[in-house]
Amino acid sequence: MLRRHRLLKNVLLTVLVMLAAFAVCLVLQDVGIGEQVTALFVFAVFLISLFTDGYWYGLLASAVGILAVNFVFTFPYFAFNFTIVENLLSALAMLIISLFTSMLTTRLKRWEVIRKEGELEIMRANLLRAVSHDIRTPLTTIYGASSAMLENYGGLSDVQKEKLLGGIKEDAEWLIRMVENLLSVTKLDGGLRLFKTPTVPEELIESVYAKFQKRYPLQTVHFELPDEMVRVPMDALLIEQVLVNLLENAVQHAKGMTRLDLAVRLEGGKAHFLVFDDGCGVEKERLSDIFKGNISTKEAPSDSKKRNAGIGLSVCASIIKAHNGRIFAKNRKEGGALFGFSLDTEVQSDEQ
Amino acid sequence: MNNNRYKILFVEDEENIKALVGALLESNGYQVVFANSFETGKTMYYSHIPDLVILDLGLPDKDGSALLQRIRERDLTPVIVLSARNTEGEKVRLLDMGANDYITKPFGSSELLARVRSSLRDYRNTHQSENARGIFRVAGLEIRYDSRRVFLEKEEIRLTQTEYNILAYLSEHTGKVMTYSAIIKAVWREGPCESNIKRLQVNMANIRKKLGFFPGGVSYIVNELGVGYRMKDALE
Repeated sequence: MLRRHRLLKNVLLTVLVMLAAFAVCLVLQDVGIGEQVTALFVFAVFLISLFTDGYWYGLLASAVGILAVNFVFTFPYFAFNFTIVENLLSALAMLIISLFTSMLTTRLKRWEVIRKEGELEIMRANLLRAVSHDIRTPLTTIYGASSAMLENYGGLSDVQKEKLLGGIKEDAEWLIRMVENLLSVTKLDGGLRLFKTPTVPEELIESVYAKFQKRYPLQTVHFELPDEMVRVPMDALLIEQVLVNLLENAVQHAKGMTRLDLAVRLEGGKAHFLVFDDGCGVEKERLSDIFKGNISTKEAPSDSKKRNAGIGLSVCASIIKAHNGRIFAKNRKEGGALFGFSLDTEVQSDEQ
Repeated sequence: MNNNRYKILFVEDEENIKALVGALLESNGYQVVFANSFETGKTMYYSHIPDLVILDLGLPDKDGSALLQRIRERDLTPVIVLSARNTEGEKVRLLDMGANDYITKPFGSSELLARVRSSLRDYRNTHQSENARGIFRVAGLEIRYDSRRVFLEKEEIRLTQTEYNILAYLSEHTGKVMTYSAIIKAVWREGPCESNIKRLQVNMANIRKKLGFFPGGVSYIVNELGVGYRMKDALE
C-alpha cells in the first residue's frame, strides 16, 4: 500500500471509530446507561490501536476520548473537570490501554514480517544448496570435455570431437535454464514486485514455443487457444518461463509420450493454462509434493536432471503464487500428466 | 580476399567474448575493429566510421547506452546492443533510444549473425529508397505499396486500413523490433497509452488471424512480449 493510502486508511479509521463511539454514547445517554461511556471509549481506543499502524493514532484517540468523556459525557456536563478522581482514573486507563494495545499490534506485525523473511531465507538457502550441487555436474562435463579436446586435439577423430562439443553445448544450455530459474527467484524476492503487463495469450504462447523450440526442435506441440480476444495481466517473462519449464518437464520425464499439448481456456473470468501429455504420468507419491521441489541433498545425486526439474517446478509454483494464481498437477484419466495454472483475465473496461 | 567488406565496431571489455565474436564475424566475411570502453569506443567510431556497431552495455567507464546516444546525435549507423539484462523495460528503453536490435547474453552464434545481417539489410533498404520500392516480398508474403494490397501465397488478403498500415510499417523495417510506441506513433500519431497498446494488440490479433499465423505454424511476424513486433526478413 502506498504511503498516502496508508495515511488515509489510518486517519479514516480513527475518525470513523471515534464518531461511532460518540454516536453510541449519545444514544446510551438518552437511553439512560450513561455510566458505560468510559468503557465504550476505552473500547473504541482499543479498536483504533489494533487496526492502525504505530502508536500515534491510538494515543490521539485516547486524548480525544478523555476530553470527550470529561467534557460531554460526565458531570459536570459540557465543562472540563480533571479533579474528580474517577475522571482521572478513566483517563489513565484509556491511555494505558491504548499504549499497550498499540505496542502489541506493532510487535505482532514485526513478527509477521520476520516470519515471512525467515521462510524466504529457508527457500533461498535450499535453492542455493541444490543449485550449487546441480551446477557442478554440467560444469564437470564442460571442463572435462574441453580439456580433453585441447589435450588430445590431434588424436581425436572428427566424430569424437563433435560428440564432445555437442555435450559442451548441451550442458551450457542446461546451465542457462538454471540461471534463468535462479534469476526469477531473485525477482520474486522483493515479494510482489512483478512487472505486470496485459498480455495476449496467443503472443505469449508464440514466444514460449519459440524458446522451447530452440532446445527441442523436433518436439511438436499441439496448441489450443481461445477464439476471443482477451488480455491477461501477468509478468510475461516469468509466466513464459513457467510454461517453458512445464513443457521441458514433459519432454524430459513423460516416458512413452507421443503427444504434447498446451491449451489456454477461458472460464469464469480466468485464463486456464494447461500442459498435458500422454506419457507415463507422475508417480502418486510425488504428486502432492511435486511443487515443493525435491531439494533435500540426500537425494540420489546421480539423477540431477530430476532435481533440476524439481527446482524448475518449485520456481513455477512461486511465480504463480506471486500472481495470486493457482497451480496444480494431476494424472489424467486417459493416462499421462496434466499440469496447469490459472490467472485472472483483464477486467473489461467499458470502451470495448 | 575481398577488401570491400562491411566494417563492424565491436565495443566490449571482456576478452573471451571479444575473441569469440571477433572470430565469428571475421569467418563470416566481416571486418572487425575492437574497443573496450566508452572512451575508446567513441574514438574508434569517429576514426573508423563503421557500417555497424555491436555495443555491450556493461562497459567499465560508462554505461554503453551513453555511446548509443552519442552515435545517434548525428548518425543512423545501425547499433546492436548486447546485454545481460533481459527485462522488457530495458529492451524498450534501448530500442526507443535508437538501438536497432537488442541481444541478451548468453546468445548463440547463429542468432548474432542473423541480427547483424538483418540490421545491415534494414539500413541499406531504408537508405536506398527515396525511389519507393513498390513491392515488398518475403518468402510467400507480398505487399504492394502503391495499391495497398497484400498477398499471401498469391492469394489476396483483405485488411482494414489500420491493419494494412501496421503491416506496411513493420515491412519497412524487416528484421527490426518496432516498439509499441514506435508503431502507435507511426500509425495513429499518438502516444503509447494503455488503450492504444490494447488497440494495437487487437489489430495484431486480427492481422494474425487473417494471415493465418498461429503458434507452431508459419508466421511472418514475431512478437517480443511487452516490447513490440518484428517482421521476419526471411523464413528459416
